[in-house]
Amino acid sequence: MEPITYLQAVILGILQGFTEPFPVSSLGHAVVLPRLFGWNIHQNDEFFLAFLVATHLATAIVLFLMFLEDWRRIGRGMVRSLRTRDISDADGRLGWLLVVGTIPAGLVGLLLEHPLRTLFASAATAAAFLVVNGVLLLIFERLRTRAPAPGDWTGDVDSRLSHLSWRQAFAVGTSQAAALIPGISRSGVTMGGGLMSGLSNDDAARYSFLLATPIIGAAAVLKLPDLLGHHGDGVRGQALVAALCAAAATYVAVRFLLRFFETQRLTWFGVYCIAFGGLASLVFALS
Amino acid sequence: MTKHRNLVVPAIVVGCVFLVIAFVYWLEPASSLPSFFPGHDAASSHHHVKHGVAAFVVALGCFAFAWFQTGPSDTSSGTS
Repeated sequence: MEPITYLQAVILGILQGFTEPFPVSSLGHAVVLPRLFGWNIHQNDEFFLAFLVATHLATAIVLFLMFLEDWRRIGRGMVRSLRTRDISDADGRLGWLLVVGTIPAGLVGLLLEHPLRTLFASAATAAAFLVVNGVLLLIFERLRTRAPAPGDWTGDVDSRLSHLSWRQAFAVGTSQAAALIPGISRSGVTMGGGLMSGLSNDDAARYSFLLATPIIGAAAVLKLPDLLGHHGDGVRGQALVAALCAAAATYVAVRFLLRFFETQRLTWFGVYCIAFGGLASLVFALS
Repeated sequence: MTKHRNLVVPAIVVGCVFLVIAFVYWLEPASSLPSFFPGHDAASSHHHVKHGVAAFVVALGCFAFAWFQTGPSDTSSGTS
């Protein structure tokens, strides 16, 4: 019997693609939903971890391609800054802000991913942390530096993002490490950090997507041997199908969110996380 | 970005130390690591590749920091 069916792969792929950019914790959903559906899939199953590598890699590739023009400008800016040893132009500065934000989260991820995954392995814990994530989103909106106003945030978006301070970039980037706990959303905490640093919702979302690409991509590439090795036996076909679904869903989700955050806030996602996490906790408690 | 030229040498030294640590993690099994290294396990032959990657990234960060501190002073501040 296959450890993951093709139907499950399609559902998990779409789920990953939608929930990764949304501030609702993709890992939390990937842990809670299989349990709610009664599937015999657990977060620490080696085949499931290998399977998730494919969906995360697909998400990272789509994010990279969707912001390809930004990455080109950022790359050129970084090369320019290395050549002149000066970080004054917006593209180069944004690139180094992303590096400063990525390194601490990457280090914490490299060193603590396994212990945290083991510690917070259960679906019930993930459901509880989904509630925590929802509360955090509401707090971020409450504590945001300033409310958006008409005429705010005009001009080039990368130039606006490059006005973040090094300390803010470090803090927002480090907060990504919290997403190692199933239920806490990486995009949620980075968007929240962006809001508290004075960014608008859509700028915070864009910064979150740029920040997501290297860390999700690097994590997936580092774990690719798991999928290609014996842990991936029996799930590689399903992983490919799931990756395609995740890619399509990520594209739709990012397009939607960039428009959504032009006028809307994190509040709806906070309410959703509290409701879904609370309901799942109740189901787990009663079952 | 304010330049701290007095931090250039310390950053390079720390970068070199982390570079050495990275290679130690890559080349030595957990049992042969110095006992004060995270991941040391006298009964394991596992190589801590990820710890090595982490140390290597810190080393690169230190070198990049040092590189930018040796650049021209911040033009916006008007100081040399």
